Amino acid sequence: MKALKCRECGREYPLEATHVCEFDFGPLEVAYDYARIKKSLTREAIASRPRSMWRYRELLPVAKEPTVGLQVGFTPLVKADRLAAQLGIRELWIKNDAVNYPTLSFKDRVVSVALSRAKELGFTTVACASTGNLANSVAAQAAAAGLKAYVFIPSDLEQGKIINSLVYGANVIGIKGHYDEVNRLCAEIAGKFGWAFVNVNMRPYYAEGSKSMAYEIIEQLGWRIPQHTIVPMASGSLLTKIQKGYQEFVKLGLVTESKYSIHGAQATGCSPISVAQKAGLDFFKPVKPDTVAKSLAIGTPADGFYALKAMKETNAHADDITDDEIRDAIKLLAETEGIFAETAGGVTVGVAKKLIAAGKIPHDSSAVICVTGNGLKTLDAVTGHVGQPREIKPSLREFEALLSAETVAA
Amino acid sequence: MPAKTKKPKPAAAKSPAENQQRRLWLMYPPRLITTPVIWQLSQKFPLVTNLRQVSVTDEIGIVCLELDGRRADIKAAIKWLEKIGVRVEPVEITVMET
Repeated sequence: MKALKCRECGREYPLEATHVCEFDFGPLEVAYDYARIKKSLTREAIASRPRSMWRYRELLPVAKEPTVGLQVGFTPLVKADRLAAQLGIRELWIKNDAVNYPTLSFKDRVVSVALSRAKELGFTTVACASTGNLANSVAAQAAAAGLKAYVFIPSDLEQGKIINSLVYGANVIGIKGHYDEVNRLCAEIAGKFGWAFVNVNMRPYYAEGSKSMAYEIIEQLGWRIPQHTIVPMASGSLLTKIQKGYQEFVKLGLVTESKYSIHGAQATGCSPISVAQKAGLDFFKPVKPDTVAKSLAIGTPADGFYALKAMKETNAHADDITDDEIRDAIKLLAETEGIFAETAGGVTVGVAKKLIAAGKIPHDSSAVICVTGNGLKTLDAVTGHVGQPREIKPSLREFEALLSAETVAA
Repeated sequence: MPAKTKKPKPAAAKSPAENQQRRLWLMYPPRLITTPVIWQLSQKFPLVTNLRQVSVTDEIGIVCLELDGRRADIKAAIKWLEKIGVRVEPVEITVMET
């Protein structure tokens, strides 16, 4: 790490727990000394290291060895031939963060980085404000690291999601009020208490964890950049960091530069970035989310502007799908590849299908679909949409009758 | 025509301990783009306003604003902004993540 740098004006700041430029309030991002990194980070060095996201540690924002989430990442990149046949594309892969460790979502990557850096900076209390996966990951990884955790949630959050944080012994605080009030209060709390608030004052470090998904995709593909990558968009941060990850590997000579596009996927019920991209705009209009894809339901995406820029730079497209299309896509992925994704995974698969059908992703190309969370976390979204078990008495005759009836029907 | 304004009336004497700075993004719908919202705010509330970034197009106005003053006045100003149709976000925009 070299410094924190404003994404708007380029001013540099010390590597502390701070997140916005004091001049124009632009977001800060970690800058690296690539010339130095190039000397030690080779394909051979990477291959010799444990299979986790930390095998690329020179490009992740920690000063020393990481201390939190050492097993996070290096999730499977699955060749999805059966799904490829259904979608009509030559080569298709699924980057499966539904089985990320420890809390089955891509957020384990960013939290692992944020908490490792928080410990380096001397923090003993960490915090976040979240409606789902982020809260679970902070609670779990803080527990494992012996850090005190505060998790702020809207008071009306579903019981299942609350339990997924409470079980780790985190201090879970439900805040009453509408979304904007809750959001602003959390910003105030983050500014006042001097904790490591993972997605506020630790955000420059936290967001960098997403790049590890890009590094793994390149390495697991045999050191090449996929022609097309389809990424779900909530704040838009993941898409921008996939681009940064690809660019960094090119810069370091770890992969040959080639043309690639990073496409963005949203749910129609919360699609500010997708709508803006399709209209050719470089800004988005805030929306009120109304979608079954809760993990993508951010109506004012903080990195929306930068995601639009990244898509423009990589000649990519964005699209969005309805809640019914999301459920259909979850089923399609499960039935063809045996992967049960949460609703955000349905969004990426469904949007990939749409972009391929429209010719925006050519049929003779290769693509990677990023699945960022596990379907076991969003069972409610598909309940009543995946059929019912057929019941029989404990009788072999009844079972044979059922089978023959189905054979006749088929 | 400018909206009606009233003189700032702090509820009590200012104490430095009560003072705070808030950094906000304001997003205006098209109907408010020609309205002098920041001027109206400074007339209605005893707050120091400091613009840091502004982007105005036909479709949206985006203003990055620092407010300095009493917490109660800042809260009242935010309430007023929302009432007239301005969306108010903290500088981090989305703190409550998924």
